[in-house]
Amino acid sequence: MPDAIVAESLSKTFNGSVKAVDQVSFTVREGEIYGFLGPNGAGKTTTLSMLTAVLGPSGGRATVDGVDVLRHPHELKQRIGLVFQESTADQDLTGRENLELAAALFGVPLRETPARVDELLHRLALADSAERLVKTYSGGMRRRLELAVGIIHSPRVLFLDEPTLGLDPQGRAGFWQVITQLRKDTGMTVFLTTHYLEEADGMCDRIAIIDHGKIVATGTPSELKDRLGGDVVTVRPLGKADALEPALKALPGVNSVAVQDGSFRVKCPSGDVLIPKIVGTATSLGISLAGVSLRRPSLDEVFLEFTGREYREDEGPSATDRAVFMTRFQNARRGRR
Amino acid sequence: MNVRRWSALTKRELLKISRNPAAIVTSLMLPILYLVLFGQGFSGFTSQLNSLAPSQRAAELGTLVLGAPDYYSYFAAGMVGFVGVTATLFVGANVIFDKLFGTLKRTAATPATATDIFGARLVAGSVQPVALAFLVLGLAILLGHLGLSGLNITASVGVVGAAEVVVAILILSLMFASLFLALGFTIEQPQTYFAVVNAINLPVLLTSAALYPWGSMPSWLQSVASYNPVTLAVEVIRINFFGDTFYPHPAWFYLLGLIGWAVGMFAIATLLVQRALAPKT
Repeated sequence: MPDAIVAESLSKTFNGSVKAVDQVSFTVREGEIYGFLGPNGAGKTTTLSMLTAVLGPSGGRATVDGVDVLRHPHELKQRIGLVFQESTADQDLTGRENLELAAALFGVPLRETPARVDELLHRLALADSAERLVKTYSGGMRRRLELAVGIIHSPRVLFLDEPTLGLDPQGRAGFWQVITQLRKDTGMTVFLTTHYLEEADGMCDRIAIIDHGKIVATGTPSELKDRLGGDVVTVRPLGKADALEPALKALPGVNSVAVQDGSFRVKCPSGDVLIPKIVGTATSLGISLAGVSLRRPSLDEVFLEFTGREYREDEGPSATDRAVFMTRFQNARRGRR
Repeated sequence: MNVRRWSALTKRELLKISRNPAAIVTSLMLPILYLVLFGQGFSGFTSQLNSLAPSQRAAELGTLVLGAPDYYSYFAAGMVGFVGVTATLFVGANVIFDKLFGTLKRTAATPATATDIFGARLVAGSVQPVALAFLVLGLAILLGHLGLSGLNITASVGVVGAAEVVVAILILSLMFASLFLALGFTIEQPQTYFAVVNAINLPVLLTSAALYPWGSMPSWLQSVASYNPVTLAVEVIRINFFGDTFYPHPAWFYLLGLIGWAVGMFAIATLLVQRALAPKT
């Protein structure tokens, strides 16, 4: 499969010293959904801005759909769609007028424009509000309109910058349903930045984790999770428990033990089988435990593994929101089958 | 420039203007207040000359208001220059608000070029001041028929003269729209924009012959005003409305000067807009 996006040592320095993106290299295959995952300020949007010719790189080069982003920005803009993280549609125009304007700017043939606009309005459930001014739209409707504007010209590569930021779980699930269907129908390549871990996990074929302007890990979600070596059991002893670490390492089925903030992170293929053994070992050593928790491999764990810190709660949705989103997303997928 | 993109963007701007009645009413209020209050307040300025013999009065009017029949007529023609400046300053403010709302970012992410974007805003931004200028002239004539001081056109305006008036109004509006668009694309904050605009439009108007009687201006101010684009535009109008007896040059001479200003301003604005819309380095 040919590469839709190729970035080679792409760098961006602001004010001569602040390295927002530092020698980033990666490729995105045609038809892939590629996620760029990282906390706020990691360099996600800066990378996307360089790939879409919004921002000039300080170093390196990139091609999108075979077009050099630095040399041919105008040609590039014909081939890509871009959905910004904030609403950029004109609020004093109706939804239909915004789409007609975008169609004219992207050069959608005049004869095809009405049908294309109608198709997108229906597909994105905006047909009933097409003649209303955008300033009267809800947040979810504005996001859907942003997407419609981004794909009006059937781009070969679609860039989504935090596209579901601020949407409720239902809105987010609906948004991704449309993207999944679009990809299925058109084979479009999607480059996505997000800090919603479960979105990246559920939607992306491959993921790059970016932190402090550098890519720290790439792979499919399952590859990344496999690199963790299975489940993670976190053991929290009450008080000092120096003797516990070698004892845990000696247990059969334990891959590794790491000490973090007085707790032991035990990696193993099957955590639920190991937990009784851990509790037994601690008891035999006379060590009381404050708690034992089991975490299946997840992108939260992957993030912790590669960046050395927890994924901060304020950088993503609440646990409830995430659970609701995943349930609705999975239901939506099942419903389609 | 791509005609389809340019016309789509122009349509967008015109739709936005038409959907903002508050802005239309506000832009109408200022020239109406000037015509009804300021102009009427100063209309007695030349009435003291009524007691003079006709030839002596004509000579005095020639010196003071360059051959206009009275101050109000002179002032009403000058008001066209006034609205050419004040009604175009919003085009730059709209650019700043579009930047703040992300609309400009969206347009810049499309294949539309800086020329398409600038050209559309320039044309749409000139429609309002041109319409307002003709409204001012019409209202000034109407006031004269309502028993108040009004615009009294004493020369016979032929087709060429009317065309010169229309072109002068259009060029003046395009020139100031270029200036304010260049500022709008360059400046990021609305408060900075309005501070800069006030620092420009007041000196421009106060160093022009738009409102002052020419003969009452000190010679140094007359020298400065002679090169002011607002003066050049209103001189084209006054020559066609009141005759060229008291002007050293014909109307086309002033029109050429105005076109020179407009071309220069357009070139500078184009460069600044292209730079503002280029990928950030």
